[in-house]
Amino acid sequence: MRCDDIRDRLDNLWEGEETAEVRQHLTQCAGCARYHRDLRLVLSGFHLLKREEAVEPSLGFAERLVRQLGEMSKAPSVADFFERVGRRFVYATLALTFLAVLALALPPTGPVRGLSATDIQISAQEASLAYSDPMGETSLQEFPELAPGEAPAPAVTNEVK
Amino acid sequence: MENSGAQVAQEIEWIKRAQQGEPEAFGPLVQKHQQRVFSLVYHLVRRRDEVEDLAQEIFIKAFRAIRSYNFQSSFATWLSRIATNHCYDYLRHERASRVSYYWQMGENSQQELETNAESQPEQVLDHEEQTVLKDLVTKLLDRAPENDRKILVLKELQDYSVEEIAEILNLKPTTVKVRLHRARKRMLEDLRQWREENKGHAL
Repeated sequence: MRCDDIRDRLDNLWEGEETAEVRQHLTQCAGCARYHRDLRLVLSGFHLLKREEAVEPSLGFAERLVRQLGEMSKAPSVADFFERVGRRFVYATLALTFLAVLALALPPTGPVRGLSATDIQISAQEASLAYSDPMGETSLQEFPELAPGEAPAPAVTNEVK
Repeated sequence: MENSGAQVAQEIEWIKRAQQGEPEAFGPLVQKHQQRVFSLVYHLVRRRDEVEDLAQEIFIKAFRAIRSYNFQSSFATWLSRIATNHCYDYLRHERASRVSYYWQMGENSQQELETNAESQPEQVLDHEEQTVLKDLVTKLLDRAPENDRKILVLKELQDYSVEEIAEILNLKPTTVKVRLHRARKRMLEDLRQWREENKGHAL
């Protein structure tokens, strides 16, 4: 039997199952004998700890606890408040943070964001340029309805004569 | 642990009433399980003066969370899980000790202790030797990683079965067996290394 075999049988040894083969090896191998003694020492220590006198609840422990729970149920504490709403609060905060990050990350224009104020201003300028008349050649006019045979009024121009 | 059908039905009724917010219904549950919780807390934290306070906190946590108990595992198991986690929240700030009475003993005394401890230690060892041995294993548990300590306490000190430990720790039984094997192996290795560190310190 090899030393590794002893280590592999640790659980059996721990449960007190020692074969003749193991005992034979332990008489011949100082390292494994030391290992085995340590195992027995630790087991004995656990045995003593298990048999220690238990810590008993003090008299009236359960009654005092129930009274405390009753008082806590009537007057919710700050801790209770956060326990109830804490999770919702955290989820709400996470959702808002996500939306804020999304708002910062998205491009300023486009199908999601739509037109920005700058876009509208540019459009307005372009619209005004489209209708401007520096040379007086065109003008926005309302063309009133003409009576039959009536000629349209001449266009107002700024032609220099 | 066997409960009669009537006891089980009674416990279910208490739980359901507690889930409706009745502290009075929680009282019988506390009385039924308080000794188990006290024992588990003591074995995990090893501080007699802290046990009752921690047990109280555990039961308060259990009452607040009782609506989440879905009867999939036993109530005792569910409560043990809360107790284990709560104790570890408490222990996280504790530092592992590097000192043990064992290393203050002479080499001959250590050998005598080891020889005597192999038979029934509570009958063969005197009070001082029992104190030393309990201190040694307590310190080994202190030094162990959190998961090792949990599983060793539940198995070696609380006598839970592998299946019960699996429920408490939310693991498969095969995983519990593997972790238990590794925890035992690491503890023995730690003892071996600790012995090396303390060679020459013995009287």
